[in-house]
Amino acid sequence: MKKKLLYILVLAALLLSACGQATAVPTESPVAATEPPATEPATEVPTEAAEPCLIIGALYGGPITDAGYNQAMHEAVMEIKANIECVKIIEAENVPDEAGATTTMENMISQGAKLIIATAFNHQYPALELSKKYPDVKFEHAGGWEMGPNFANFFGKPPDGWYLMGVAAGKMTKTNKLGFVAAFPLGWTLVFINAFTLGAQSVNPDVQTIVAYTYAWGDRAREADTTNALINQGVDVITMHVDSPATIISTAESRGVYSIGYQSLAAQQFAPEYWISGTGFTLGGKLTWIASTVIDGTWKPIFLRCGIAEGCMAIAPFGPRVPQEVQDLVMQVKADIEAGKIVVFAGPIVDQDGNIRVAEGEVLTDDKMSSVDWFVKGVVGSPK
Amino acid sequence: MNLLSILGVFSSAIFSGTSLLYTTLGEVIGERSGIVNLGLEGVLLVSASSGFAVTVITGNPYIGVLVAVIIGGLMNMILGYLIIHRKANQLASGLALMFFGFGLSALIGKSYVGAKINALPRIALPGLENLPKLYSSLLSFDILIYTAIPVAFLVWWLLFRTRWGLGLRAVGENADTAYASGRDPRLIRYQALFLNGLLAGLGAAHLSIAYTMTWTEYMTAGRGFIAVALVIFSRWHPLRAIVGALLFSGAVAFQLLLQSSGVQVSPFLLDTIPYVLTVLVLIAWGGNRRHSAPASLGRVYHGTE
Repeated sequence: MKKKLLYILVLAALLLSACGQATAVPTESPVAATEPPATEPATEVPTEAAEPCLIIGALYGGPITDAGYNQAMHEAVMEIKANIECVKIIEAENVPDEAGATTTMENMISQGAKLIIATAFNHQYPALELSKKYPDVKFEHAGGWEMGPNFANFFGKPPDGWYLMGVAAGKMTKTNKLGFVAAFPLGWTLVFINAFTLGAQSVNPDVQTIVAYTYAWGDRAREADTTNALINQGVDVITMHVDSPATIISTAESRGVYSIGYQSLAAQQFAPEYWISGTGFTLGGKLTWIASTVIDGTWKPIFLRCGIAEGCMAIAPFGPRVPQEVQDLVMQVKADIEAGKIVVFAGPIVDQDGNIRVAEGEVLTDDKMSSVDWFVKGVVGSPK
Repeated sequence: MNLLSILGVFSSAIFSGTSLLYTTLGEVIGERSGIVNLGLEGVLLVSASSGFAVTVITGNPYIGVLVAVIIGGLMNMILGYLIIHRKANQLASGLALMFFGFGLSALIGKSYVGAKINALPRIALPGLENLPKLYSSLLSFDILIYTAIPVAFLVWWLLFRTRWGLGLRAVGENADTAYASGRDPRLIRYQALFLNGLLAGLGAAHLSIAYTMTWTEYMTAGRGFIAVALVIFSRWHPLRAIVGALLFSGAVAFQLLLQSSGVQVSPFLLDTIPYVLTVLVLIAWGGNRRHSAPASLGRVYHGTE
């Protein structure tokens, strides 16, 4: 009898873990790197207010403590609560796949959510489908391109920030070689690498950016190996576009090499000494505004993109080794971008093979960026 | 190609090969006793996450390593109960253990994603402390790296130079005969599985606490299966496992060197290297009696009632 009971217990445990195990397909997101499994039930954030003025359902592709994209999005959503006290927020993290996203959002809607904030790349189409099924619920997706009567999307404008980081890197490098660790050669990743390189070249024409891919979102050991391989090629500034920067920044720090973070401002803790700076998403203000328009009934579907000037992206504090003049220069360039004096992707822009990609007098527009499949001159590595 | 980059391939091979070596050594012991552990991937994950979590909580990486090792052993006891006591199919039980490990490790590690830890300290090779940091940091290794090869020799000694090892190998060849000669195949298989788990735990600890200094879901990225392939590559011999682990991680490091110097090689092709090597070894020595798999590998021991 006892044996049988144990048997059943073990079986139950196995079943449970198998259920949590959804498909482990790496999602090809330009910004939201997500990892496999473990879809978790929505967790409620308790509130004192008896009648919330708005229930918001927010879902994330990965864990909200990743010191990366998901943490940045989570902090932005939490800012709504800090600014508008009467809202109630239901959050769900680790929802990487489409099927899980659909059930999670339906669950949130059945709990009364009238605004859904879906932050991972793979949440876009499930959210779009549900927006047709629930016309009285507003859907906001981070970083997508689809629009609908009750479906809109919002995001920061990362290329400006990358250009500024390039300026800092171009000034800090002694070997004129910058290293970029990327997960996959995707459109937006290539745009970031290009913006970073253009920024660096604007202050240091001899600079090169060496790109190496890990071809995995979550393989930390390979990220460490890749970082080391770049450093051994003479790179003395490392930056990255992976889902969580912790391993890469720690590895660079242990080799005595500068690092630049992306996505969450929390990355700095991994490099107390050799940190240069980083850019991160600070979308809390805009999300608060979106929530307030839902509450007062003025919400409209807007394709929202906002940059550093509007407060949607921020620059992390500079590290202890960055000289004042470099900090001042970065701030000057930032002011120039905000004033429109500098446009990152203004032509002429020449690719690695010498072809003109953006002609003189033209500008690479936002809608063309996701289909970029080339590197600017000065990048070492393959864009495919 | 300069001295630094060649040195770098060597250093990366050692750093990322260490977790593979420990895991492969564990699997050699297990398979020598007749048990294929396809659950290694799950065992590695649970060990890595619990070791990391304990390192965060206590602030002491050594306690983290200890916990990772013990958890590895305990995880394998689940497998032991299923296949030794309940006489379940080894492959099915192993896969079940793996999926269990996926879920459990995510649960354990959830609140520690993105945490910063005191990693295992790295000690420079004697005489190299005064090199520039760029070089000395390549040749500073943690304690688990220094002990990896001695452990391989220890496993070899245990398997081939002790009576316990003789008994273990006898169980792997023919459990009934071993029983007839006065050995308890069940006990020996439990012991082998426990050791298998302890060593996998060491490998996992090196991955999360020493090398990458982070925990993320599914961070082992197939290393549990690479270890199973490397066992075949090393033809169930602990010393050849050293070569296998270094060769594989060296190939990865070499691919990254090529990539970072502007040469493109498909990383997907290179990812197949351990398995291609395994197939080649099977082609070369597959039918050879001296190098063949333990005869009872994968078989359930039904006892002699």
